[in-house]
Amino acid sequence: MTEPILRVHELTKHFPIRRGLFGRASATLRAVDGVSFDVHPGETVGIVGESGCGKSTLARTLMWLDEPTSGSVTFDGQPVSSGATDLLRRQMQIVFQDPYTSLPPRMTIGDIVADPIRIHGTHPESEIRSQVNRLLTEVGVSAQRAGQYPFQFSGGQRQRIGIARALAIEPRLLILDEAVSALDVSVQGQILNLLQDLQDQHGLAYLFISHDLGVVRYLSDRVLVMYLGKIVEEGPAEALYAKPHHPYTQALLSAVPTLRGRRSERVRLRGEPPKPTSPPSGCAFHPRCPMAQPICAKETPLLLPSGPGRRSACHFSGQLAGNG
Amino acid sequence: MPFPDFTGELTSSDQAPDASAPAALPVRRKSFLRQFSKRKVATAGLTGFLIIVAMAIFAPFIAPHNPLQQNLGDNFKPPMWKDGGTSEYPLGTDPLGRDLLSRLIYGARYSLAISFGAVIVGGVIGFLAGLVAGFYGRWADTLLMRLGDIQLAFPFVLFAIAILAVSPNRTVWHLIVVLGISSWVIYARVVRSRVLTERSKDYARAATAIGASRMRVLRKYVMPNVWQALPPIALLNLAFFVIVESLLSFLSLGLSPPTPSWGSILADGRQYMMLDPWMALLPGIAIIITVITISLAADGFADLLDPKLKFGAFRRQPLKTSTPDIDPSGERLPLLSVRSLTTQFPLDEVTITAVDDLSFDLGRGQVLGIVGESGSGKSTLGFSIMQLLDAPGRVVDGRILFDGADLARISNREMSAVRGDRMGMIFQDPGNSLTPVLTVGYQLEETARKTGKIPAKEARTAAIAALQAVGIPEPERVIRAYPFELSGGMQQRVMIALAMIGTPELLILDEPTSALDVTTQAQLLDELDRLRRERDLAMIFITHDIALLADFADSILVMYAGQLCELGPANEIIRRPRHPYAQALLNAVELVDAPGTDRLAVIPGDPPDLSRHLPGCPFADRCPHAMAVCRDVEPKPVAVGAGHLSACHLHTQSTEDAAA
Amino acid sequence: MTSYVLQRTVQMIVVIFGVVTVTFFAVRLVPGDPARLMEPPGTPESVIKITREQLGTDKPIPEQYVNFIRDFVRGDLGTSFRGSRPVMDTVLEALPNTLALGLISMALTTILSFGIGIVAAMRPNGWFDRIALVLASIAQATPGFWLGVILALLFAVELKWLPAVGRTGWKSFVLPVATLVISLMPLQIRAVRQAFIETMGEGFVRAGRARGLSETTVLGIHVMKVAAIPLVTLIGLQAGYVLGGSIVIESIFNWPGVGTLALQAINQRDFPMIQGTVLVIAIVYTLINFLVDLTYAALDPRVKY
Ligand SMILES: Nc1ncnc2c1ncn2[C@@H]1O[C@H](COP(=O)(O)OP(=O)(O)OP(=O)(O)O)[C@@H](O)[C@H]1O
Ligand code: SF4
Ligand code: SF4
Ligand SMILES: [Mg+2]
Repeated sequence: MTEPILRVHELTKHFPIRRGLFGRASATLRAVDGVSFDVHPGETVGIVGESGCGKSTLARTLMWLDEPTSGSVTFDGQPVSSGATDLLRRQMQIVFQDPYTSLPPRMTIGDIVADPIRIHGTHPESEIRSQVNRLLTEVGVSAQRAGQYPFQFSGGQRQRIGIARALAIEPRLLILDEAVSALDVSVQGQILNLLQDLQDQHGLAYLFISHDLGVVRYLSDRVLVMYLGKIVEEGPAEALYAKPHHPYTQALLSAVPTLRGRRSERVRLRGEPPKPTSPPSGCAFHPRCPMAQPICAKETPLLLPSGPGRRSACHFSGQLAGNG
Repeated sequence: MPFPDFTGELTSSDQAPDASAPAALPVRRKSFLRQFSKRKVATAGLTGFLIIVAMAIFAPFIAPHNPLQQNLGDNFKPPMWKDGGTSEYPLGTDPLGRDLLSRLIYGARYSLAISFGAVIVGGVIGFLAGLVAGFYGRWADTLLMRLGDIQLAFPFVLFAIAILAVSPNRTVWHLIVVLGISSWVIYARVVRSRVLTERSKDYARAATAIGASRMRVLRKYVMPNVWQALPPIALLNLAFFVIVESLLSFLSLGLSPPTPSWGSILADGRQYMMLDPWMALLPGIAIIITVITISLAADGFADLLDPKLKFGAFRRQPLKTSTPDIDPSGERLPLLSVRSLTTQFPLDEVTITAVDDLSFDLGRGQVLGIVGESGSGKSTLGFSIMQLLDAPGRVVDGRILFDGADLARISNREMSAVRGDRMGMIFQDPGNSLTPVLTVGYQLEETARKTGKIPAKEARTAAIAALQAVGIPEPERVIRAYPFELSGGMQQRVMIALAMIGTPELLILDEPTSALDVTTQAQLLDELDRLRRERDLAMIFITHDIALLADFADSILVMYAGQLCELGPANEIIRRPRHPYAQALLNAVELVDAPGTDRLAVIPGDPPDLSRHLPGCPFADRCPHAMAVCRDVEPKPVAVGAGHLSACHLHTQSTEDAAA
Repeated sequence: MTSYVLQRTVQMIVVIFGVVTVTFFAVRLVPGDPARLMEPPGTPESVIKITREQLGTDKPIPEQYVNFIRDFVRGDLGTSFRGSRPVMDTVLEALPNTLALGLISMALTTILSFGIGIVAAMRPNGWFDRIALVLASIAQATPGFWLGVILALLFAVELKWLPAVGRTGWKSFVLPVATLVISLMPLQIRAVRQAFIETMGEGFVRAGRARGLSETTVLGIHVMKVAAIPLVTLIGLQAGYVLGGSIVIESIFNWPGVGTLALQAINQRDFPMIQGTVLVIAIVYTLINFLVDLTYAALDPRVKY
């Protein structure tokens, strides 16, 4: 296999919850709690999980928009640190969820797309105009509209502009944080196709974060499932969807409404995700897990190999992987 | 008079995070003046103010006399329209025979100069302090904001008075500095809160992600969105200073005499109140006019930046026309029968037809699913049936027969008897649908009592039972909770309990699970399914996710641009959609759902613009099958199966055409 | 809640300490020697020296500050330079008059503003709303001191219906209260109106209607409870207006309150008295805002620590 372009090791991001007059930290919110994974060049890694499981914090921490509490990130073999984010931001870019807040409202879209080129000086000033036109055309926005402002564009077009901005300095890895979640299905399809075309042309790697399991499956080669700040399962997309090795993945998949599904046959979860300020003991999933045993409340299961290219964090993943 | 007074309104609206709704479009500079000039009152205010400023600047050319010129022979002249007045002194003279009109004009000079100066001093200090506090945060933030707190905890005019009183001599500069410093907190707070909001928006994050330095993020990205908030505040501040300056000179703490100033003219006038009331009246009128022109202009600016208050409160007006006799069939009507329903939002320049000539029926115990893209009018349809449209929305045509009563036409009293008791509605955002300051129990009991079906004494028991019925595990605990203490899923269950306590026959659910996680959504759907079977409840289930309806709805209505696209039995529509839009919609879902697909067949283009009502099929621009006729003639729904309608020309054209 | 009260109490003490400090330095930072300013020009140096000793301004500033704080904690604000009474006694005597005027005005303002503001909010841009807003704009542009003078001119001098000065009977309240109420109302009417309009657009209002609650219940309980919360803060701010404005209004109507005292002291350059009145007014204001914050916390369950 090729060298991974991004290597994440035991990444952790905790937020102190401050209260009181003197702002002492009275609790810790473990938004991302010891996450490790790799992304290889040209590959699409999907991350799924429910709201609050730490997906977006992970994205922001990887981009060094928030400094991690501990753990390490290696980009292209080079360790990233607060003083050394240049390489990272040259080669890794991010697209956000909300098309209405992710573009600065008072800059023209031409200016928005040009700014990364100016900052990194990847092209001389004289070429910027043609670069911007090329980028806009590539994402399907008319280059003649470069002088217009974001509010003159629809949600889908804005998302295209956000992608153009991210592509401006020709990164090798793109983080897509719920990049199509705010869009209507018809427009969502357009953007998904665009992403695939871009990947084919530029050999981009994607880290595709979403709560929508269908979209993640469609786009990803490999999928990570997160629950309460931790990765609970990892595997090749098709295999993981076909046969989850973790009860949470199982429940998640079966909760997704499908056109052919029969709801009565589904696995149902009890209760709701606990607060990340007070995660349950042992396996954080045990209060809701249909398979939970006494050991689950005591011992935290490790994320261990459970099949070819697969890892799962459950005391009973062997059972799930074996039979059924 | 302390200083924070006039900012109450501004800061409160300013701290609210920008609604991300497309309605709150940012105003661009070029169109700014044009938009402003549309507001006649604001323009009048601004013009009036500019005239006053011009008079002040050109005082030496306008004023008929030297304001300091004493003319003891002519003292106490009344204004020219009174007996004894002369046109030489249009507004009369003061005890020293100085011309009042000239003194007033020169008074404007000092008053405005001091006020402008103070605004600049306060604005600049406040702006910088706000930027530093907001952007760099940490100790600088804490220090500056605590300083501001202490300053605001102090009726500052007192302080100004004290300082000016003990200063041996007072010049324009003294006044500017003292007034200016007193107001920096206002600007600093607004700027800081704006910076905090803006810098945490995704576009500022994106700027950091593309490698912009902190300075660049601040200068190029954040700042342009911050200073916009300042003009209305600065104008109000200016108006306030005009009053304070005159107050200070009234107390003889302003500029040293004989410099003319509105406050000192008034103070003189007060001594001779009985002899010559005009001297006391006129400067006050000058101040009032000046301040009013400034505040009108300020209101205009504020309105432009925050157009929220334009439309008023909810006000239902029953249609005055009689119920149209659309299909007078003798057979028994279903529970709900909607015919030719048309709902519009008349806005300033355009009228949006959000629901356009829509008809459907719904029987008891049946579930009708409504799907469509954002803006296709699904919610508006729900609100039309509930008769809860936001102003300026109105049902303009058609009828909504609910158990024989036309909801579009019955009186307000009758309608509110229908709501809750016979018909309930659940909304997308449960957090915003419960009153935040009342406990869950209070809201349930209040609703229980209102129905009249439950004796007051049993309201509490009924409330607990209602919570149990929607699968809430610890109803006794939840009943004492405030809504914010519950998770989204719990809040939505409480909403359902509230709707069910009146035992309605029809429940309208507007995207009830869109804000929830899939696992919670699945639980809630189970709950709803059980309720409707147990209680023979009819439902209108609005969603943008057609897959949700597959196992839940009896029939499905697909909407596009406010119109009926396709309506039919759920399994028919999901298995064999007829309308090209419905087909494309299902395709999109299907392909993402299924493994191993290569490329999505997508609908090109953007959703339609409802404010332009073009002839022909609204889907024509995006339709792969569009024909010439589609652009000219609006397709009407035609039967394509038992209880199955589709509005497309393909069904009426010959089959060869369709295949083409 | 208890911990919140504790916390706010600590905060309030810090603010009062800040206020005391600011007052102390403000009076001393002004260029010039207070002792010299207090005495008429041409007073011999020996007399000024005695004055200086009486004021304590001959000592170094840090020592003065420590003494000042110590005396303040003991409730000693010094001795008035004109009349030689303890400043504290004089101020405490005048305070009830100021508070009576302020409380009556605030109460009246609140009642009237809520009434007018709510009716206006019912039909934004309706005739009532328009008239209310125009009148509010005019009233807001009217300087309070001018209004006081004009009202006195009209009702006391011309018509002779009401006394113009002093505190005599209930009639003597009418003019100062009217002046204050007219100055206070515009802002509060606008705020009430805006709070109600905004709250009426919230989802829970629509949800309340959707379950059939009567318009009276929706507006009278749900909207009222939510909209009133931010208005509590405004009332706190307006208390500042009343206290600060008391200097002017009281002096126009010669009302025997702290404001009149302060203005007299300013005219007589009675430094201990200036210091004392300013301080007492600021402390009363801080206390009012402390109460306002507690009320806010009690009304809004979301403020919990
Ligand atoms: N209060 C309003 N004022 C003006 N226009 C409105 C208002 N409410 C809705 N509209 C317009 O009516 C149309 C239909 O909106 P509606 O909210 O009913 O769509 P929807 O199908 O519910 O969309 P979504 O899926 O986003 O909820 C839109 O064009 C919208 O802009
Ligand atoms: S470890 Fe136990 S509780 Fe956790 S997922 Fe596995 S079976 Fe469930
Ligand atoms: S009427 Fe024409 S444009 Fe419209 S959906 Fe049918 S074929 Fe397409
Ligand atoms: Mg909607």
